[in-house]
Amino acid sequence: MNFRFSNCRISGILTVLPSNELRFDDEMLNYNFSQAKSLKLKLTMGYDTHRIVDEGTCVSDLCLFGLNFLFANQYLKKEEIDALVLVTQSPDYFMPPTSNVIQGRLGLRSDIFCVDINQGCAGYVVGLFESFMLLKNDEIRKVILLNADVLSRKVSKKDRNSHPLIGDAASITIIEKTSEASDIFGNIKMDGSGYEVLMIPAGGFKIPSSPKTSEMHEDQAGNFRSLDNLVMKGDEVFNFIQREVPPMIENLLAYSDINRDNVDYFFMHQPNKFILNKLADKLLIPRERMPSNVVEKFGNASGVTIPTAISYNLGDSLKQNSYLTCLAGFGVGLTWGSLLIRLERLDFNNIIYF
Amino acid sequence: MEDFENTLSEILEVDAVNPDDKLESFECWDSLTILSIIAIADSKYGVMLNANDVYIAQTIGGLKKIITDKRK
Repeated sequence: MNFRFSNCRISGILTVLPSNELRFDDEMLNYNFSQAKSLKLKLTMGYDTHRIVDEGTCVSDLCLFGLNFLFANQYLKKEEIDALVLVTQSPDYFMPPTSNVIQGRLGLRSDIFCVDINQGCAGYVVGLFESFMLLKNDEIRKVILLNADVLSRKVSKKDRNSHPLIGDAASITIIEKTSEASDIFGNIKMDGSGYEVLMIPAGGFKIPSSPKTSEMHEDQAGNFRSLDNLVMKGDEVFNFIQREVPPMIENLLAYSDINRDNVDYFFMHQPNKFILNKLADKLLIPRERMPSNVVEKFGNASGVTIPTAISYNLGDSLKQNSYLTCLAGFGVGLTWGSLLIRLERLDFNNIIYF
Repeated sequence: MEDFENTLSEILEVDAVNPDDKLESFECWDSLTILSIIAIADSKYGVMLNANDVYIAQTIGGLKKIITDKRK
């Protein structure tokens, strides 16, 4: 389905990354594969370094760190925040919502709308949709969108399928009303029949965690993981993306009546370099306009990869310049969505380390 | 599909392949090789394979048959 939003703009993006950096070259010894095979994987997928939190660090910790940075640098005032939208799949607790935990830990006023959204790879697009919709309300002038995940804590270190690419991160995006911005176009689709393609099978109410769910098993490809771990069917993810993402982008361009040559950057979710290069080729987009350097540098932190790609690749240049960008997320759910939005003259666009 | 064998020998890092060759017998055989085959099936032959199709195929000839059947 298509969306169109008016009078909203992104005024700042901050990405928070863990200081703790892991190197693929050190970790490949954990995998049940020869060194030669692992090096080939590294080259093809573009794996190198990735950043994960220390044991015990939660989504609320990363978000609080980033928000306090914004308060300290006068980019944001506590009393301006009308809504906190947190998109995460690794909340601090089942209950209460982590957005409430963050509100409480920061001492934000009670005249506020807090909501958690369970979304992953498409979480930046979904979070922006929700934020734009909230801004239609008279009394909501400024929405703080938090995308944060610490899923490394659910990935087996002996799973060569998922561990080399996993990353943890948080991002804070400020969305506010404006009378000057051009319209924003978007679309989204879902296919819940593919819910098993990316999942953490145990630990919820369907299969509670138990000693049995923590037993490690070897899969057909030689990876070890338990039911408590994140599992990804890599082949199905690949096919899903190649099948659904190109037509989604084509439809978005048609709906917004924009020629792809006029889009300055395509910031896609970052599963790995291999998939992104195949996508760029299929969409006839030069690879330099579709950055694919987040996984090799920081890892894939689910819904945080798009803002990370924006912060890392554009940085301060977004404070002066104006770029027409296409943002697209795709994965867990299955969910795939995209947005065409002009990013210009942000108050800030940077990366800080936790 | 004439160049199928050449394409496969490149992916499998050998000089030549035969229809009866078992996929698992190749030195470089692993999940990444399977993904490379899935990617080539999509980009070159317009066919969506999944990992299970490749496991079921077992041999070079079996793989060629699956791709050919799916193209119809």
